[in-house]
Amino acid sequence: MTTSLTSFDMPTYTVIHPLKDVPEQKCGGEYLGKMSMTRSVRISLFVLRGYLLLMMGMLAYHVLNMAGILH
Amino acid sequence: MNPTLTKTPNRSGTFQVRSNWMRHLLTFLMVFGPGLIVMEADNDAGAVSTYVQAGSQYGLHLLWLLVLLLPVTYFIQEMVARLGIATGKGHAAMIYERFGPWWGRFSLMDLLIVNFLTLVTEFAAISLALSQLGISPYVAVPVSAVGLIGLVVTGSYLRWERIVIGLCLLDFTWFGMAYVSHPVWHQVVRSTVLPSFPATGIDSSYIFLVIAIVGTTIAPWQLFFQQSCVAEKRLRFADLKWARIDTLVGALFTILVAGAMMLIGDYGLRHGVKFQDPAQLATALAPIGGEFLRRGLLLMMVNAAVLGTTAISLASAWAYGEVQGWPHSLHKKVSEAPGFYAVYVLCVGAAAVIVLIPKLSLQLVILGVQVLAGLMLPSAIIFLQLLLNDHALLGERWVNRRWNNWVNWTIIVVLFALSLLLAAQVIAPRLFS
Repeated sequence: MTTSLTSFDMPTYTVIHPLKDVPEQKCGGEYLGKMSMTRSVRISLFVLRGYLLLMMGMLAYHVLNMAGILH
Repeated sequence: MNPTLTKTPNRSGTFQVRSNWMRHLLTFLMVFGPGLIVMEADNDAGAVSTYVQAGSQYGLHLLWLLVLLLPVTYFIQEMVARLGIATGKGHAAMIYERFGPWWGRFSLMDLLIVNFLTLVTEFAAISLALSQLGISPYVAVPVSAVGLIGLVVTGSYLRWERIVIGLCLLDFTWFGMAYVSHPVWHQVVRSTVLPSFPATGIDSSYIFLVIAIVGTTIAPWQLFFQQSCVAEKRLRFADLKWARIDTLVGALFTILVAGAMMLIGDYGLRHGVKFQDPAQLATALAPIGGEFLRRGLLLMMVNAAVLGTTAISLASAWAYGEVQGWPHSLHKKVSEAPGFYAVYVLCVGAAAVIVLIPKLSLQLVILGVQVLAGLMLPSAIIFLQLLLNDHALLGERWVNRRWNNWVNWTIIVVLFALSLLLAAQVIAPRLFS
């Protein structure tokens, strides 16, 4: 993106727009597959599933309540 | 010719400069965009309504919350920008690749539904505001939809970005409107730096509004949008520091604009104005605040909705294209990425058509947005945090540092609790009565 060139009198910097620059080799360039299930990943996904189930439960309660089934 | 800046004639987008500060400034200006756009687009029609309502109900008592939310929005979006620069891929693609098809499809479908419902509220705001200016919804809504589609189908990311940055800068008008609403400045400063509470005490309505403001300021689509936008702009590793400044500038600007909206709501409160939506407030304020305030409020509501619509529709189109493996880029012509553009057009077109249905229950749409956003935000942020700790994907250079993780896990726990409270309040209001 920015390169410094030295001429005999003063430095000159070249600034290139990201869209015009040479593409970089990004992280995880090739397909890595699924993330390894470390303890923290397992716990996070477990908490997330619990949270989603709780929300679904509340949503079901709301729908049943609106339909008058719980009265 | 400017002695410090010359353009190399044989390669567009390449400049030669003679001073170091000019090099930094020019690089920043080239990188600038995604951070400002994602933050300003978050001040969409729903946000205008929430912030103005907060001011009209509680005066200046919720200004301190905006100050607290500034670092939170910055930390979350900084992670998104870092992930986008490191991988060059969008958020939906990363979730699909690293957590598998189930989580990938869940995140995508949730995003598409909540985004679509939000788009309906944006067009409803356009319809409301322009109706107050004497333009029929049957003209205003289709014309806005065609304009929003025309904005992206030119086959140029930069053209879209420049126009949208221009729309973001129109938000400076909010400061003018806040100024003419004659706020009591010393009270504004005091309420901004010192948390204060209404004389009536903290009731469920106050807590609900606090949660609504947090939910408005940090929205799920922002994570998907900025990462895709950074990937679209092909930002390089060395651009990270400039992307961080872009995000910080955007966060600061959006919080200041949100504060200005609260001041206008406070103006309504001080004059005993009652209203259902900001369009009604604008009309009610005209005899006191003048035509500038009325027209400004209505037009800035439209601008907020337009910004929100283009960013949210693009977040959906990018995410869908990434997961489907379709070409998904604003650099491509419509014929080169038909699926990507079709999703964008479908989102905008269908939301516009739905708003024109007579007697549409907007309340039901808003309820859907709140519930789904409550489902979406914590899961999207958990995936973001796990991806930022993915050493196999990012290597040591780009993963979160220990302090990053402490800050981010704290934010996640608070957001989880608030999302749960909000959803519980929306789904089962009697649980808290």
